[in-house]
Amino acid sequence: MGIFLFIVILELVRRKKFREELSIIWLVIGICLILSSFADRVIDPLALRLGISYPPALVFILIFFLLVFAMLYFSLVVSDLKSKNKELSQKMALLEYRVSKITQEETSAIKD
Amino acid sequence: MNTYLVLIPAFNESADLKKVLNDVRGNIPQADILVVNDGSTDHTSEIARNAGVMVLDIPYNIGYGGAVQTGFRFATEFVYDYVITIDGDAQHDPVSAKNLIKAMEETGADVVIGSRFLHGDYRMGVARKAGVLLFSKIAQWYTGVQFTDPTSGFQILNRKVFSYLAEENNYPLDYPDANIIMAMHKMKFTVTEAPVTMREKPGGKSMHSGYRPFIYVMRMFLSILMVLLRKEE
Repeated sequence: MGIFLFIVILELVRRKKFREELSIIWLVIGICLILSSFADRVIDPLALRLGISYPPALVFILIFFLLVFAMLYFSLVVSDLKSKNKELSQKMALLEYRVSKITQEETSAIKD
Repeated sequence: MNTYLVLIPAFNESADLKKVLNDVRGNIPQADILVVNDGSTDHTSEIARNAGVMVLDIPYNIGYGGAVQTGFRFATEFVYDYVITIDGDAQHDPVSAKNLIKAMEETGADVVIGSRFLHGDYRMGVARKAGVLLFSKIAQWYTGVQFTDPTSGFQILNRKVFSYLAEENNYPLDYPDANIIMAMHKMKFTVTEAPVTMREKPGGKSMHSGYRPFIYVMRMFLSILMVLLRKEE
């Protein structure tokens, strides 16, 4: 599943459907998924040391944290886009007013 | 150019806008009028244009605060001295604008907020009353001045204030409340109140009705907390 995700993301970036900056976080998640399937040698002792009796639970915890961070990151991106979007629409409204004023003056100058 | 700009943020107000514009013309003849059309899907923009006032069209709906801020930017660019904000839904009676102008001249304040509670009574639901009271108390604790109607969109601001609020991150996209009063106090602007009359909306369609009140209260607490936490620039 990790490999599948990794390939899909690489393909999306290649087709320029996915911006490289944003895809990094998903590639990291993909790599973690791939590694987690081989990591029973690390995960099992680590889980036991942490007092987790069922080692795969540790994997779920790690994935959970990764996903929470990914979502936080995307919320930040959305928030940033929202304020940029607001700025853009406000500037556009003000510019449109100036442009229509100039065109009005021009047309009245032509008529005179 | 007149030194007063009446700023009317309007989102789908074609039903009332004509009346509002006539009332404003009749009562504040010395002012220029600007309608900020916040991505309306009805004829708001045409009605305003046909009435011969200045119109800014925001390409899509960005929210009440965003529309008001666009007007502040306009006023800053075209160097007006005062901005009077009036809602586009005929809730604010432009006759009261005189009170605001007078209060500003007499007290020398930077901002005068029109309050519907200072004189006469205005009926509203218990929950909303509690909300208004809560945030006005918080604002009072912080500023030392009593604000009876902190959500009021009927205000007069001088250039010092509106040019500050016109800057990118100084004004909320949705509804300004006690948080903005506190932020203005923090910037050492003097804020005061004057009585205005407001009409109850016939349809009961309030600015805050779409908002789930609970989320609104939480959000406002957060904004107020942020005002307190942010360092002065």
